Parts: sequence; C-alpha cells; structure tokens
Amino acid sequence: MSAGAIDGRGGRAAPAHRFGRDLPPWLLGIVMNVPTLIVLALVLAYPIYYAGYLSLHRVSLVQLRTGVFPFVGLDNYEKVLTDPLFLLSLGNTMIFTAFVVAVEVVAAVAIAILINQQDIWTSRITRFLILLPYAVPPIANGLIWAFIYNGKTGFLNRLLYSVGAIDGPIDWTANPDTALFAVAIPYIWRTLPFAVLLAHAALQGISKELYEAASVDGAGAWHRFRHITLPLLMPVIVVLLVLRTSFAVAVFDEILAITQGGPGDATWVASWYSYRKGFAPPFDIGAGAASAFILALIVAALALVYVKLLYRRVD
Amino acid sequence: MRKTPLQKLLLHIANLIVIGFILLPMAAVVIGSLLAEKNLAGDTRSIIPGDITFDNFRVIISRGEQRGQVFEQATYLPDNVKKIYHALGNSVVISVSVTFLTLVFASLSAYTVVKLRLRWVAWLLSVNVFARFVPIIVLMIPLYVVFRKLGMLNSIWGVVIALTGFLLPYGILILVPYFASIPKELDESARIDGCTRFTAFLRITLPLSTPALASYGAIVFIIAWNDLLIPLILNNRAEFMTLPVVIASLVGDVFVVFNLMMAICLIALTPSVLLVMLLRKFVVEGLTAGGVKG
Repeated sequence: MSAGAIDGRGGRAAPAHRFGRDLPPWLLGIVMNVPTLIVLALVLAYPIYYAGYLSLHRVSLVQLRTGVFPFVGLDNYEKVLTDPLFLLSLGNTMIFTAFVVAVEVVAAVAIAILINQQDIWTSRITRFLILLPYAVPPIANGLIWAFIYNGKTGFLNRLLYSVGAIDGPIDWTANPDTALFAVAIPYIWRTLPFAVLLAHAALQGISKELYEAASVDGAGAWHRFRHITLPLLMPVIVVLLVLRTSFAVAVFDEILAITQGGPGDATWVASWYSYRKGFAPPFDIGAGAASAFILALIVAALALVYVKLLYRRVD
Repeated sequence: MRKTPLQKLLLHIANLIVIGFILLPMAAVVIGSLLAEKNLAGDTRSIIPGDITFDNFRVIISRGEQRGQVFEQATYLPDNVKKIYHALGNSVVISVSVTFLTLVFASLSAYTVVKLRLRWVAWLLSVNVFARFVPIIVLMIPLYVVFRKLGMLNSIWGVVIALTGFLLPYGILILVPYFASIPKELDESARIDGCTRFTAFLRITLPLSTPALASYGAIVFIIAWNDLLIPLILNNRAEFMTLPVVIASLVGDVFVVFNLMMAICLIALTPSVLLVMLLRKFVVEGLTAGGVKG
C-alpha cells in the first residue's frame, strides 16, 4: 500500500508530506531493522556460529597469536565429554538447577499468595520489599554471601552465636557435600523476586467470585487452593519451570564470588568450566567453546519447550 | 473469608520469615561496611563488634589517600579500587548508552513487526524468542575472539555494543505486544492527516508507549549496570572496568578484608536498588510482561 492509495481513500488532495514520501513497506521494514540486524549479527548470530567453528578447531594462545586455527573435527567435544571434570560440572549443574527451580517455584507460589493478603498489614511490607533483591548486582550479592558464610569472621555465625544456636564456628561453604546448596541459597535470594512477581500477576488475574462461590459452598482454605488457585496457576508454573531452568543452568557470578568452584571441585558448574577452560591457563579456547556449545544445546532444547508452550497458550 | 486469629498469626510469622530472608544480606552488607578490620577479626561472635566507623568509605572515596584510623597500619589498597571513580563513570556511561540504544533499536524493530506484517520480520521475531535464552557464557569465547579481531577489546563501546545486542531481543519481545495493543485507527488517521508510516511511529506509537518504554528501560538499565561477564572478558585494563568488574577483581585477593569489600558492594548496589525501588511499578510491569534474563 502506498501513501497515494491512502490519500485517495481519504478523498482529499494529496497532502504534502513534511518528511518526504512514504517508503514502501518492504523497504521501510529493512530500514527500520538495520540497527537491530547489525547488532544481532555482530553480538548473537556470528558469535554463535563462531562458537561452533572454534569448537571444531584447535585454538589456544599460540593459535590466537598466529591467527591460524587448525581443524581438529570433533576432538574438542571428545576431550570435553571424556573429561571427568566436565561430567562432574554437568552433574553439579543439574543438581543445582533442580534444587533452585524446585525451591523457587514452591516459594514463589507461597509468597505470591502471602503478599496477596489484603487484610494482613505485614504482607504489605513483604510486597514492598520483594523486588529489592532483583536490583542487587549478582557479583555483589555473591561477595555479601561470602561474608555471611565465612567461617572465621562471617555474619551468619555471629547471628547464630547471638541467639545461642551454635557454640563453635561453622565454615558454611567448606563442606563439599553441602557447598553447592550453600551457593544455591544466594542465587535463589537474587532470582526469587521475578518468580514471585510472575506468580503474583497470575494470581491477581483469578476472579474473586470463584473464591466467594467456593466459600459459600463451605470449601476451606486448602480446598480453595487445591481446586481453584493451583489449577489456574498451572500455566504460569510451567512457564516458570522452563524459564528458571534455562537461566539457572548458566549460573556464574555467585560461583565466582563465593566458592570459585571449591572446595576441591564440589561447585564446578558448566559455565564455570567453560570460563576456566577458555580464560585460565592453559587457555584451551577450542575446548571451552565446545563445552559452552553443549550448554547452549541444552538451553536451546528448553527454549524449544518454552516456545511450544507459549504458542499453545496463545491458541 | 474471615481469618481466625491463629491464621492471622501464622500469616504474620510467614511474612516475618520472608522479610528476614530478604533483609539478611542487606543487614550483612550495611553492618560489614561500617566495621573496622581489627574489630571484625578480634571479636568473631558479636553482630556489631566494636564501634561503627565510616573509615571504609573514607578510604575508598579518597582513593586511598585518607586512611582513617581503621587503616593506620594497612598500606594496601588494590589499584582497581583506587580507580573507583573511573569504574563508577564507566558503569553510568555504559548503562545509560545501552538503555538508550536498546530502546531505540527495539522500538524500531517492534514497530515493523506489528505494523508492516512482513514474513521475514515475523521470522526475525521468532529468532528473538530463541535469542533471549542464549546464556552469556556461550557467547563469551567467540565474542572475545571476534572483538579482539575488530580491535574492540578494552573500550567502552565494545561493551555497549555487546550488551545492546544481548538485551535487544528481550526488548523487542516486550514492546511488540504493547505496540499491538495501540488502536490501529490512531495510526491510520495520522497517516490520512499527512504522516508517513515513520512519522506516525514517532508521533503516535512512541508517545503512547511511554509506560512500556519506561518499564523496559528501567530493566535494561539494571541488567546493564549489574552485568559482570561482558565487561569482565572484553576489558581488562583498570580504566575501562565497570563496578561489577572491580568487585570481581577483589575475589581471591587475600589481602582485601571483608569490611572494605562490603563498603564497595554497598556503593555498587545503592544506585540500582534506589532506582528499582523508585520505579517499582514500572519494573514490576516490565518483569511480568515477559520473562527476563537472570
């Protein structure tokens, strides 16, 4: 449709366009998308392609200097997939993610219901504060929790001493069996607001009349939750499961700040593995890219599930 | 649905637990930043050991020139902390530029998705749905190699471009439904009055979308302000560091004490916390309009 057609339909003399003639839609589409296309190509499309390319070549400091990357086929993938440390990192990532997502989904629904109580004045305080952790830089959050957990001068031990709960110092991240969960708590602290707000938005969409009708029929609080709230929250719970899973598998900042993978290798996760492979001696960029690509495939599968769910919801 | 006194009590207790959990790290960072190293190490059991002091902030703000009583004996302050004004400036410039650029680019693209109904633009939208899932860590290694080739390592603009690309898909996804909710008739009548598609976009769609732009802008600003990995990998010289990179550089430095770290963390988190609490309404709307990274 050109500008002239519109003017004709409007039945007026063709007005003089102050900003020149209207571009045809296909050209306007290209012009308006030029910045987006350039940036996406430079920052997303090409690097993703290039990650695949690097993962098939031997790239380390020497090759970076000479600029020649010898093709090695799937050697990097073989190296990574047979590396016990990578398999351990993947396993840790799955434990971490399962724990984080399970806690967050349950807590999000519970807290969403809690802040939805209009007649409880403390709920208003929670509702005001709930967004706060979202604003805290993840790396600062990590360091704060490093201080909280510290065995010698840490804040958590001080709190527990003052209420008489412990009588000797505890180093909260020193135990290899629990260190991963100790890192999960700060991560949950920072990312829970998003889950709560999503659940709360869905909760506000549920009609009050449903609850009133159920109350008239004599349904108790548990019954109302079980038969009204939970089924109607199901779509948002599924979205939360997929979204939170796909972001939690890439946890990085808190690992860097609190444990740096330790004690031993107890908190090595997939992104930490890629980072250390590529950016710490011996700078095996090819293997780092291969391991990151495996993580990307896992996330892509999750994204596919998300898209399927989204389109089903739209229909 | 009246609640019994017991139910009310239980709900109050639940609220106190949640509030306590939210405030625990805030209490730790505030108290930690107001303590002296010798008190922190000397008394490991009190919540507030010894007197409160502002010396941690004094030494950071004076770039190590004023030591105060806390640092009488200490002579060590990491060079990165001495460059804290650089870092603060870099963080502001990067976050503001990224917010501005993503708002402009995302609204241009979102408009074409909604109004032009071109097949390839619709395809671009589904690419964006996938793109917002890409973890930064996957892009790190190739971004480093690509930016190294282009000579964009150790520059503010390298970080701005990388973050803009990373946050753009999310913005497009938020703005598309909002633009679609603006009545078509407004656009059409503007065009009858002599606007081109582009001027209709500037005069009708954009002004009517102020709330969505504010929501998305606030969120982008926060993510850009908080992001660690992109500036960490692209910039390693102190004059190009952002606040999160300065904080990360303290990790593993055994000579840096917790009270100093907490003071720096508090300096870094105060602007973003204030912004989020002031713009709560917009941030909540933006977050619930679509998922977000992190």
